[in-house]
Amino acid sequence: MGRLPPSFFIYWEFIITVIGTISKSEELPASYNTGLKFIALLLFVIALGATVFYVQSIFSISEVQMGLSGESSLILVFLHNAGITMPLLVLGLSVWLVITAFQIIRGNPEAVRWASVIVFWMAVGAIILGVFLIFQQSAGSDTVEADLGRGLLAGVPFILLAAVTGGASWWLSRNSVLVNRNQTLTARNARMAWNLLIPTIAILIIVAARPLEKTFIESLTDKRFGSADPVNFVGLSNYTQLLGFRFDTVSCRKADDGTCTRDPNGSPRWELIDRELLREGYRSVGYLQLGSDQALVLSGTDSDFLTGIGNTLYFTFFSVTLELSLGLFIAMVVNSNFAGRGFMRAVMLIPWAIPTVISARLWELMLRDNQSGIINKVLLDLHIIDQSQAWLSNSGLQLNALIMVDVWKTTPFMALLLLAGLQLIPSDLYEAASVDGANRWVQFRSITLPLLRPVIGIALIFRTLDALRVFDVFNVLLGRQKLSMATYNYEVLIQNQQGGYASAVSVIIFVLIAVFTFLYVRSVRIEAA
Amino acid sequence: MTPETNILNKLLGRAGFYLLIVAIVLFSLFPFYWALNSSFKGEQELFEPASYLPRNFTTINYQGVFSNGNFMQALFNSAWVSAAVVLLSLVVGAFAAYALGRLQFRGRTAMMYIVLAMTMFPQISILSGLFTTVREIGVYGSPLSLILTYPIFTLPFTVWVLTSFFKGLPDEIEQAALVDGATGFQTFYMIMLPLTAPALVTTGLLAFIAAWNEYLYALTFTLTNRAAQTVPVAIAQFNGMVARQEPIAEVMAAAMVVTLPLIVLVVVFQKRIVAGLTAGAVKG
Repeated sequence: MGRLPPSFFIYWEFIITVIGTISKSEELPASYNTGLKFIALLLFVIALGATVFYVQSIFSISEVQMGLSGESSLILVFLHNAGITMPLLVLGLSVWLVITAFQIIRGNPEAVRWASVIVFWMAVGAIILGVFLIFQQSAGSDTVEADLGRGLLAGVPFILLAAVTGGASWWLSRNSVLVNRNQTLTARNARMAWNLLIPTIAILIIVAARPLEKTFIESLTDKRFGSADPVNFVGLSNYTQLLGFRFDTVSCRKADDGTCTRDPNGSPRWELIDRELLREGYRSVGYLQLGSDQALVLSGTDSDFLTGIGNTLYFTFFSVTLELSLGLFIAMVVNSNFAGRGFMRAVMLIPWAIPTVISARLWELMLRDNQSGIINKVLLDLHIIDQSQAWLSNSGLQLNALIMVDVWKTTPFMALLLLAGLQLIPSDLYEAASVDGANRWVQFRSITLPLLRPVIGIALIFRTLDALRVFDVFNVLLGRQKLSMATYNYEVLIQNQQGGYASAVSVIIFVLIAVFTFLYVRSVRIEAA
Repeated sequence: MTPETNILNKLLGRAGFYLLIVAIVLFSLFPFYWALNSSFKGEQELFEPASYLPRNFTTINYQGVFSNGNFMQALFNSAWVSAAVVLLSLVVGAFAAYALGRLQFRGRTAMMYIVLAMTMFPQISILSGLFTTVREIGVYGSPLSLILTYPIFTLPFTVWVLTSFFKGLPDEIEQAALVDGATGFQTFYMIMLPLTAPALVTTGLLAFIAAWNEYLYALTFTLTNRAAQTVPVAIAQFNGMVARQEPIAEVMAAAMVVTLPLIVLVVVFQKRIVAGLTAGAVKG
């Protein structure tokens, strides 16, 4: 072991201080001194043990050892295997434990209070970890046999830790004068607040912060699942591959008489982009016609992803716009007083409550491409269309069909949100306006819309965020025929097993949605008091 | 304008209004009715031109669904996974919400912002990181992976809604408890928590619906293990007895079985659900 983390020096200082203070008398009743010293020692041992255990477990990973011996970059290997959150957390908590231990020895009651928080949650965490390890390690798999001994070996140390810290916690709670002396109400509240927040913070770190960090780091690698090749850092190349695009102009394919050839639905056929570009991996994504026989062509190194972004944006724009306008209309109708309003509310909740997968399957049946599909039958009977449409297989209609499904599912929900906003508008405003002779439209323009604007803003951002990450309807109804950003991500990750590349897709989606989340959070004010 | 035309106008307006209401009800319920209708038709009838009532009423699809081992297993998985997620989110979430809603401490506003931002967290964007985590922990392909990961969306939401309920409770109760010598934690679980029972029911319901309907994680983490799949995955990949052709009528019957309990919940608790949804989205 070449280097020591800086916290080791703090441990050393601690030992000197403990030796120095061990004989000093304190303001505490003498009978408590032994117990507190034991707790300080416990915190110290835990801090030291956790750091050593963590450092050892990181350095025992074979990849990190390769980094140590200079075969690959140590920093990158460390990032990939340990990340930033966990080392910082372990180190930070260790340092904090040692400082707390110091303060306890010095007789600081505040430190004793925090020690009571620490030992309690440590005991809870150790029990959960211990029980989990016993189950996980003793379970068998295809290659290993089930073995309870192995599980106990892994889990029992944590159970022991839980017993010791639990004991300390119990002792502190029995001698509550230790914790409560000189305590202000503010201090009590703050300690209790953190006590109550710790489980939430722990869960969010495990299931959100750490995976997010992992995604960011892995997006810089060429990691593949189910492959024995070592993971290499590839810099930003996943991103350049995903987002690489260029514009060129192409002419149309000429028939013998010099006119442009056209495909069955009337749009011209365009020439392929330059051969050199094709070899570099560029594929065309979309055309914008300029003049009669020229077009601007957008091509990208990952045309599937660019198309996916396009599909998602199209879907988002039209579904959110439709949902907002229809939802506002429905909200205003339902807002008036009439018998059966409760019933209406229940009815409007039903589309929202039906699982998206089920509503997708349901619409799959309704959108069948012949007369067995009810949508076709109704539209034919009403003479809106003159022949059955292949809603889900005609590529020009697919996205519109998905928008239809989403509008059905989400408009009532949108209406309910807006309805809540409408009901906050005092009715005397409308009465005053009627007295002044303003008609319904003027009332809508000058009272309803301005007062509803904050709610509309929030509902809009809310829905946009939801629509941008659309997965269920695309996956169930279109599979791989047309991809959204999210289904593309899923395909790359699960079907192609390209962990690194999929992570880069995830990061791009995250950044896009983070912008909207920022807007949302800013529009919801949290009173500082 | 004579009084007669005035009344006529009013009547017409009233009729138009109810016509609109009927249209909205139709819009909301028709697809649901269609699934119900189709679930009582034979497989063959679904390939004939659509009819508004089953021509040959049959319950064979329901018999098929209830004797389908995979589907019943999925129903069972969904039920206990959702229940466990709700329990976890409520217990942990109520703790955090009490801290954020009733207690003053440094860092409170920052925590509130984090929780609010987390309610919008795009699940898809940590899919690959979570995929690695779930495999490392060793719960890949087991329902445990879902119980572990679902709090990403249920927990921040639960905390946020419960916080706004806790904030609404009057201060006097807490002060009285304090005067009577209750400790901080006693005040929380003996006095404040029972007062939020209605809010707990609401958020519990919303979390249950969210967990019951979740598809992305369920698909990703249980794709390889049929025995661990939840209802949405089972319905998306429904297989009947005949391998080549998808039994759509049976899928519709399965959809009805899954949806009916949700609809009952929604109808019974509609007021509370709307209150919870709007507390989560509209109020600050």
